[in-house]
Amino acid sequence: MTSTDANIVIWLNALSGNVAAFDNLMRIVASDYLMPLAFSLGMLGLWFSGKNPAQRIRYQLTTLMGISALSIANIVVWIFNITVERPRPFVEYGDQLTLLFYPPTDPSFPANPVAVGFAAATAAWTINRKFGLWLYAAAALFGFSRLYAGVFYPTDIVGGAVVGIAIYVFTTYLRRFLEPIITSFVRFIRGLSAA
Amino acid sequence: MNTDPGVVRDLFAGHYFLFAFLTSLGTIQIAVSNAGTRGLWLTPNATLTRWLGIALIITAIAIFLAQPLWVDGPWAADSVEADSLTRDWGKASWDELAGARNVNDIHGGLDGVKQTGWFSLAAVTAFAVSAIAGTLSIRILNPVQPKSGDDQDPDMADGLAGLANRSYLSTQPESWRNFHAEFGEFWRKGIREAESWSLIKSIWGRSPK
Repeated sequence: MTSTDANIVIWLNALSGNVAAFDNLMRIVASDYLMPLAFSLGMLGLWFSGKNPAQRIRYQLTTLMGISALSIANIVVWIFNITVERPRPFVEYGDQLTLLFYPPTDPSFPANPVAVGFAAATAAWTINRKFGLWLYAAAALFGFSRLYAGVFYPTDIVGGAVVGIAIYVFTTYLRRFLEPIITSFVRFIRGLSAA
Repeated sequence: MNTDPGVVRDLFAGHYFLFAFLTSLGTIQIAVSNAGTRGLWLTPNATLTRWLGIALIITAIAIFLAQPLWVDGPWAADSVEADSLTRDWGKASWDELAGARNVNDIHGGLDGVKQTGWFSLAAVTAFAVSAIAGTLSIRILNPVQPKSGDDQDPDMADGLAGLANRSYLSTQPESWRNFHAEFGEFWRKGIREAESWSLIKSIWGRSPK
């Protein structure tokens, strides 16, 4: 007997094999290297995007918050991983799934890549709604591709998104706890003509 | 075939660095062309710089994804389902290309920490290349005069703001001088204005001036 969660993965994954080009696109999007780099580039782009001193410092502080949120999200996901230890879908329903991805060895809940993507997207959204929405879409597509590939359950994806957003909010409070170190760091980088 | 993960990682890290460097350079070019930071432009023209940035990103993605077609590595047959230790060493076919680059970190790929390290190095290198190219562009190809009043306004004279009209080499001495001159007061002001529950304020804020 399978849960609704598992039924969704099995149904989505069963769509693979019909359109080779779409499967290949999902393989590329789901990769460990493309979308995480895109989120990092989003943060890098924000750093240099400010058009006046006030906007620049706001963008750069947000970038630092975003980068910190990515790191903290990894730690929180790891704590969930070792606490919940949910097996991957292909471990429990391997006979019903066609894996489009290598078999990951870490637990399933919550989805680490989605947490990272949503943390970066939330950082971008707080200063530029349009750019933030693009990053949210990229993070959601990243999550969908992993679901389609058969390596996460839907609740892993939702859990990852919630963790990513929550960690960014937490990081903004952490920044206030650590001020003025954060703004002083940006001032130091400005001393190197890079901020 | 037993493929040593260390050998795979050495090969893969080089490819990833090139990928991260070119995309970082492209991203910086798009951002600074929009922000008007001429000191970091690869070309003297904003529109050209923006399109060059887009081209760099597309080229980087294409090279990274297509490299297994002409570079030997652990991306041959059954690259997705099989673990890397049992992959054949060779070039990938077109059919295998989409999954060929998704190398598991335990089989020679890069985990999150290593990706962060390589990306950071690539981003710093991309900034350095932009600064050098921007210096050449401003000094040789298209010299510009600072806007009047820029030198008197400290916010417009250093950092990225200073690069709006000057090269990195011209801006850097002033950026560092301003940092030295202002940092003490900047830090004290930061302590005064920090919220009462700031950890840093609670440590430094109570000490006598």
